[in-house]
Amino acid sequence: MNSTFEAAAAAAPGGEPTPAHAPTGRTLLMLVRREFWENRYLWCAPLAVAVLIALSPLLGHGELHLPPFANAESRVALSTLVQWGLLIPLSVVMVICVSYYLLDCLYAERRDRSILFWKSLPLSDRLTVGAKVLVALLVVPLGVCLLGVLAHVVFSVLIDVRLALRGLPAPLAFNLLEWFRTELALLLMMLLAMLWYAPLSAYLLLISAWARRSPFLWAALPLALAPLLERIVFGSHYLWSFLTYRWKGIWQLLALGHTQIVSHDHVRSVGTLLDDLNFREAFTDVDLWLGVAVAVALVLLAVRVRRYRDDT
Amino acid sequence: MTTVIEARGLTKSYGATRALDDVSFSVGPGRIVGLIGPNGAGKTTALKAILGLTTFEGELRVLGIDPRAQRDALMSEVCFIADVAVLPRWLKVSQALSFCAGVHPRFDRARAEEFLSRTDIHLTSRVRELSKGMVTQLHLALIMAIDARLLVLDEPTLGLDLLYRRRFYDTLLNDYFDKERTIVLTTHQVEEVENLFTDVIFINHGRVVLAAAVEELGQRYQQVTLAGEQAARGRALRPFYEREVFGRVAMLFEGRSAAELGALGELRTPSIADLFVAKMQETGST
Repeated sequence: MNSTFEAAAAAAPGGEPTPAHAPTGRTLLMLVRREFWENRYLWCAPLAVAVLIALSPLLGHGELHLPPFANAESRVALSTLVQWGLLIPLSVVMVICVSYYLLDCLYAERRDRSILFWKSLPLSDRLTVGAKVLVALLVVPLGVCLLGVLAHVVFSVLIDVRLALRGLPAPLAFNLLEWFRTELALLLMMLLAMLWYAPLSAYLLLISAWARRSPFLWAALPLALAPLLERIVFGSHYLWSFLTYRWKGIWQLLALGHTQIVSHDHVRSVGTLLDDLNFREAFTDVDLWLGVAVAVALVLLAVRVRRYRDDT
Repeated sequence: MTTVIEARGLTKSYGATRALDDVSFSVGPGRIVGLIGPNGAGKTTALKAILGLTTFEGELRVLGIDPRAQRDALMSEVCFIADVAVLPRWLKVSQALSFCAGVHPRFDRARAEEFLSRTDIHLTSRVRELSKGMVTQLHLALIMAIDARLLVLDEPTLGLDLLYRRRFYDTLLNDYFDKERTIVLTTHQVEEVENLFTDVIFINHGRVVLAAAVEELGQRYQQVTLAGEQAARGRALRPFYEREVFGRVAMLFEGRSAAELGALGELRTPSIADLFVAKMQETGST
C-alpha cells in the first residue's frame, strides 16, 4: 500500500505541462471584477452621488453670493474648497458601502452557498480574500477620488456657464498647481484613513468570515458592549479611550483641527494643508503601522476561517 | 496508470457523530464510481474530504496531492458540483464564462458556449432568471469545458425532473467521459444511473459496507427468486437478505456457486439498487 502512495505522489507533478494556475495578475483582476459584478452598489452608489453633485449647479436658482474678498487668489482657493467639499458626500457614501461590503462579502457567499462554486475553481483562499481587501481598501477609494475629480470638473464648468449666461463673474478659478496640491492632500488623507482604519476593516472582514448569522450584530455588539461592561465591572474606561483613539487619533496627530481654511475674512487653498498638516509624523506613526500589522493578522485569520469553515 | 483517489483510514466526527469511521477505498483512472448511502451516511463528508473542504484524520491522496495541503493546486485538475445549485444568483451566464476563462487554465470557453447553444440558456440571463434544470445545465456546461481528470458530483440532479436528469447523465457520458477521466458521483436515484457505474462504494454510518467493480458483483453476489414453499431450502444456504414479492421470495447470497443456487429457482445478478437495500438492512439502517 505504501508504494501506491509513493507512486501516486511521484507521478503527480509529471503530468501534462498545463500550468496549475492562470497568471496571478489576471486571476486577481478577474476576482476584483467579480466583486463589482456581485456588489453593484460599490460602484453604483458613489457614481449616483457623483452625478448628483456634479449636476447640482443645474438645480436651484444659481444665485451664488460671493464673499466680499473675491480676488483672484481667493477664487482659486474657493475652487479647491469645492474640490474638497464635493469629496465629502462621496466619502460618506463610500464608508457606508465599504463597511457593508466588508461585513457581507464572506458571509453572503456562505449564506447562498456559492462558496462551493468559487471553491471548485483553482483559486486560493488567500487570493480570494486578498482581492476583497484590495477592492475595499484601494480600488473603491481610488475610484471615489477619481469620481470626485470628474464631479469637480463638471460642477465647476456648470457653475461658470450658468453664471456667465446671466452675465455674472465666474466665482471659481482653476489653477493647475493648486488643484494638484489639493488633490495630493486629499489623496494622502484618503490613504491615511485607509491605513488607520485597516484594523477595523479587517475586523469586519473576519466577522464576515466567521459569523453563522447576523454578522452586523456580531460586529457591533463587542464594540458597544465591551466598553460598557468594563465601565460596569471595573469602573474604568480604557477600552472606550482606546476605541476613541482608534477612531480619531490619527487626525489629531495630523493636526487637522488646528488649521483654518476658511476664516471670516479669508479663504486659503486646501492645497496649503500639505504644508500645514503633519503628514510626515502621521505616516511614520508607530500606532498606524501597528494597526496595519494587526489588520494583516486579522485578514490572514479570515483567510484561515474561510479555508476551514465547514458549514455549507 | 496511477490511482486517482487513495483513501486510508479517513475519520471525521461532528461532535458525537462519526461521519466517517475509518474509511478506506481507492479509485482508479477512467472509472465512474457511485458513492451510495442513505442520508447522513457520510457520503458528502467523504466528498468534502476529497475536495479539501473539510478537515479529517487519516491518509488521503487525490491525484497524488494531499487535498488538505494543496487545495488550490488540486482544483485545477478536479471539478465538482455540490449537492444543490450553488451558482450565485446574481451571476450572468456571460460573466460565468468570462470568470472561468479568466481563472481556470484548463477552461475552454468555446466548448462551454457550444454546449450552451444546445440549451435554451441565453448568455445575457442571470442565474436567478433560470429554472433549476437550466442552472444545472449551465453548471454542467462550465464543468464540461474544464479539462479535468477528476469530476466529483454530489447529488447533481437533486430536485430535477426526469427529462433533465436523463439529459444530464446522457451528456455527461457521451460528451465528457473518456478513459482518462474519473467521475465520482453520489445520488439517491440509484435505479436511474446504475448502468452508468463501473464501480460502487456503499457507505453506511460512516463505514464502507461494500466497494467493488460492477463486473465483480456478478461473481460475488447472486439473487435467486424462488417459490414461497422453497424458501426453507434457500434459507439453509444463509442468504443475507430476503424479500417477498407476489408470493415468491427473492434471496440474495454472497459467494455461492451458480450450480448450488441454480437448482433452487431463477438465478440472476442482483441490481445495484437491490444490493444496496440489502446491504443497508444488513448493516442496520432503514
